[in-house]
Amino acid sequence: MQFKFDILIPYLPQFGSALLVTLQVTISALLLGIVLAIPLSLFKILPVKPLNWLAAFYTSIFRGVPLMVQVFMMYFGIPLVTGLRFNAFQAGTLIFAMNSAAYLSESLRGGIRGIDRGQFEAATALGVRYPGMMKDIIFPQAIKSVMPSIVNEFISLLKNTTLIASIGLVDILRVGQSVQTATYRAFEPFFFISVFYYVLVMLLSLLGKLLERQVNKSDRH
Amino acid sequence: MIDIKGLYKSFGQLQVLRGISLKVSDGEVVCIIGPSGSGKSTLLRSINLLERPTYGEIWIDGKLITPPDPYLHFDVIRASNTYRHMAQERQLPPDSPEDLDIVRRIKEQDLLKPREGRPYLDLMRRIEREHRVDDHYTRRRIGMVFQHFNLFPHMTVMENMVYAPMHVNKLSRQEAEQKALTLLNTVGLMDKKDVYPATLSGGQKQRVAIARALCMEPEYLLFDEPTSALDPEMVKEVLAVIKALVESGISMVLVTHEMGFAREIADRICFLDEGILVEDAPPDVFFSTPKSDRAKAFLEKVL
Repeated sequence: MQFKFDILIPYLPQFGSALLVTLQVTISALLLGIVLAIPLSLFKILPVKPLNWLAAFYTSIFRGVPLMVQVFMMYFGIPLVTGLRFNAFQAGTLIFAMNSAAYLSESLRGGIRGIDRGQFEAATALGVRYPGMMKDIIFPQAIKSVMPSIVNEFISLLKNTTLIASIGLVDILRVGQSVQTATYRAFEPFFFISVFYYVLVMLLSLLGKLLERQVNKSDRH
Repeated sequence: MIDIKGLYKSFGQLQVLRGISLKVSDGEVVCIIGPSGSGKSTLLRSINLLERPTYGEIWIDGKLITPPDPYLHFDVIRASNTYRHMAQERQLPPDSPEDLDIVRRIKEQDLLKPREGRPYLDLMRRIEREHRVDDHYTRRRIGMVFQHFNLFPHMTVMENMVYAPMHVNKLSRQEAEQKALTLLNTVGLMDKKDVYPATLSGGQKQRVAIARALCMEPEYLLFDEPTSALDPEMVKEVLAVIKALVESGISMVLVTHEMGFAREIADRICFLDEGILVEDAPPDVFFSTPKSDRAKAFLEKVL
């Protein structure tokens, strides 16, 4: 058995643009996911039962349905029923964002619950209204405890986005598959892709640690 | 003036306050003392609506800050179906004079239901419309200092102080910072303005918390055991700041375990036990000749 990694060289530009797609989907899904997670976590903590149920139902859908099925549903199923048309990029980004929102809202709720009641009381006693209190006093503190979850979500998103190859988006995995088809070699492209993801994830973990340290700076003595 | 009328507060089955009536005049310093679990903190926290009373009303400068309590307005009670039924049952004329016994019975059985007929509802609405003010209006005028300081840990001392003045009172950053600096100077923490609360000692945190409350220019200041969470050597510096405030003439209500301090600064001592205001007297009278056995027993333990 001989390794022939040089067969990958002609495909490097394709891998390059595929990486861009992967990162675009991942990052836009994460950002959108965070934005969606904030109202969703509010729905979970507000003392309004129907909102609690709604948010719990939302989360349970994304927990209960396999990700691949979610992606197919978004790309093939939803457009048929609603008439909305998504390209693969939009469908992928949207479903991953909604999926992240479900998970992130859960940890955001945990983060909010974990904040000392005294913080709410102090803000209330100062006459701060609920939206301002959540935005400026509670969320900035909750985000600290949510930071590790956000990094974890980033990492699992990055890995899960390989699923978008299945709806025809050319991401890294898809390029690997085309290398396999063209050269009849499977080990090299997939080994390359594995290393690629591994390094990316390690870098992200490191970034996560740095971020955590950054947001915790007010705790240092 | 703070006027607390017939305040009841229950947490589920637990009755914490059982009919407290209390007035705090402008510029007055009132210390609330009593054994733990007597309802001191709940009473204090009701004044800025961190707790919602079960029954009773609180008036501040002639404005009603709680929902109106029908039991305190005899004309409302008299307009209710329940009262009419009870009056019939007991063969009272429908326009009977104020029969406190009936009011008490209605209250105990809590027979007053939301559907009490138009005249009842109209009277309630009228009181609400004429006198009620909203929670934020109330809280803006009442400062509070907590046992555990409750500074915002993700903000510097300065940010802690200017946040509410800027966002609630709509001051410009410059005005707010100016005011904050003056106040930090009075509490002796000018050099700490840019640090995060985590780097401060307990005493310093509490001084910042007091300055933060003062930044809103409150007319009333509430202290909920301000020195109970402090190491002994830091109690003095906080008490000194509070004492300086007394001289500034702001109205204050303090829940405290510092008997010597209460005696020194208070205009009145309110002794609470099991949710009832047992004694309300000037400090010299209260500490030298307490009238009730409960107060005597309490003072024997703590002095």
